[in-house]
Amino acid sequence: MTLFRDIPIQIKLMRVIFLVSGIMLFVTCSSFFAYEFYTFRQTTIQKLSTLGEIISTNSTAALAFQNNEDAQEILTALKAEPHIVAACLYDKDGHLFSQYPSILPLHALPVKPETKGFQFVNSYLEGFQPVMQGSKQLGTLYLKSDLGAMYERFKLYGIITALVVAASLLLAYLLSQILQKSISSPILALAETAKAISDNGDYSVRAIKLGNDELGSLTDAFNLMLVQIHNQNQTLSEFNQTLEQKVKDRTIELETVNKELDSFSYSISHDLRAPIRAINNYINILLEDYTGQLDDEAKRLINIVISNSQKMGTLIDDLLSFAKLGRKDLTKTSFSMKLLVESVWEDAYRLEQNRTIEFILDELPDTYAEKATIQQVWINLISNALKYSRKQEKTVIQISWEDQDKEIIYFIKDNGIGFDMQYYDKLFGVFQRLHSPQEFEGTGVGLAIVQRIIEKHGGKIWATSKPNEGSTFYFSLPKKSL
Amino acid sequence: MSILTIYIHHRLKIPLLICGILLLCSQAPSTREYQIKAVFLFNFTQFIEWPSHSFENAQSPLIIGVLGKDPFGNSLGDAVNNEKVNGHPLVVRRYSSPEEIEDCQILFINLHDPDKVVKIIARLKGKSILTVSDDNNFLKQGGIVRFFTRDNKIQLQINPEAAKSADLIISSKLLRLAEIVIPKTVK
Repeated sequence: MTLFRDIPIQIKLMRVIFLVSGIMLFVTCSSFFAYEFYTFRQTTIQKLSTLGEIISTNSTAALAFQNNEDAQEILTALKAEPHIVAACLYDKDGHLFSQYPSILPLHALPVKPETKGFQFVNSYLEGFQPVMQGSKQLGTLYLKSDLGAMYERFKLYGIITALVVAASLLLAYLLSQILQKSISSPILALAETAKAISDNGDYSVRAIKLGNDELGSLTDAFNLMLVQIHNQNQTLSEFNQTLEQKVKDRTIELETVNKELDSFSYSISHDLRAPIRAINNYINILLEDYTGQLDDEAKRLINIVISNSQKMGTLIDDLLSFAKLGRKDLTKTSFSMKLLVESVWEDAYRLEQNRTIEFILDELPDTYAEKATIQQVWINLISNALKYSRKQEKTVIQISWEDQDKEIIYFIKDNGIGFDMQYYDKLFGVFQRLHSPQEFEGTGVGLAIVQRIIEKHGGKIWATSKPNEGSTFYFSLPKKSL
Repeated sequence: MSILTIYIHHRLKIPLLICGILLLCSQAPSTREYQIKAVFLFNFTQFIEWPSHSFENAQSPLIIGVLGKDPFGNSLGDAVNNEKVNGHPLVVRRYSSPEEIEDCQILFINLHDPDKVVKIIARLKGKSILTVSDDNNFLKQGGIVRFFTRDNKIQLQINPEAAKSADLIISSKLLRLAEIVIPKTVK
């Protein structure tokens, strides 16, 4: 059945029709044949017994008056029936009286007459018929017929049956080829349409309905489905388009707002720098020129003002540089990353002379980027690494890289205090800090600046860490495109 | 006991056998030829139709008469014993003179005097009697059936015209076996 399951529906239908008609033909022909076989046997017996009746009626006188010649003559008439192979007459005492044909092998005839009636023995039909005159039996007739007639008849039937079966099967084949189309062609058309649709994605195509049967309703349902899909697709694409438009609009709005925000923060920082410088300058003048007139409490308060205004200055500078990044275009050059890192490290390390630091710097590949901003990245990352590992007895900082297909990933690993990954979201935000200023100084702008620089270069920045086990900061830069 | 029985048997058997043989010899000088002829006489009843008026009624016997010396012995009696034809029981009668003949159906005439025979046949005219004889000239004398021997076989000669005038219908099957003789001169 598995074999049947996978063959095309056309062949399946034809086979079904063929098989059914074949079986029906076979059954019909065999019952016809069986009936013929039975009736023909009966008819043969009947014919032979009729013949026996005629012969025996004719041979009564010959038997009564013991006239062998006449009996012989009567029996010889049997030659008109070629299938009679032997015949004989016995007298009333059961002695052989006359035989046909006149020359017969010794044991061809029964020695004595037996019971009345005909029966099939081997491939012969033979039997005995009493010769009666009135109610008196004068003798017995024996007849033996070969079944040639029967076999000839059956042969003829066989040939006719074979011809009929062949013709019927041929007709069934031709008819099934025509008739199966009424079922298979709508299915095939439907399948073809479905395939065309799935291949081309064109939902405006419609299957052609070929009738009002179940296949017709299937086609209708299929077409209705297509209409629905088509409509849904249209709605979906319309929706998509409006969405896209909306996204575009929003992006433009956002960009505008961002630009405004950038220029706002730039001008703010820029404008704030002048007054803070003025405050610093004048406070310094106050401290220098009026030292004698100020008591210690006044000096202490003034120093607090100085420290805070310096802090504010740093903050404003950071903000300014962060804002600047949004406005400037990058001017990229090829340079040695390793030399850059070394020089940044030298500067940073100078401030930490009294610490035990192991610094591992691998051979870094050259890069193509804006040197000044990348330097800023390294300054921030290295100073962070030094800052957050300050409490360690021995600081270990490693800078290395990985090659990844189209970009190079640089990373810096420290053994500092690390951070909890659940606050990762805050890591690169402006003014976002995971530690208090009392614990570790800083404005919270540094990593935001780093992120901005890296993103501007088309790279990415991320970090992994565990509290008290150090952090690793990664950033990727695209390789110079050829 | 058993020895005694056997002895008695033997003592009885031999005289009985002798008696039987003597009896057969005295009563039946019948030959094989006449045994067959007796059967033939009986068989005629099967192949010949008598007009219904030749019987008194449906149960009255079909009589086979023998005129002259009876050559059949027991065989004719045996042949017709307990036989019936169309309800008529068969009976054999022996006639010593033609005057005795009344209403038989078959008459075997064992006389060889032509004048006598002619007379008898003339006497039987108008009666439906099948006359049978062995005599060579029987058919010329107006008889219906004659037995004769050829190739060591008993054959029949039939004069169908004589049968017809006796109002007898002879089956064609019987006629086919017989030699048909129509004498040119019938006295």
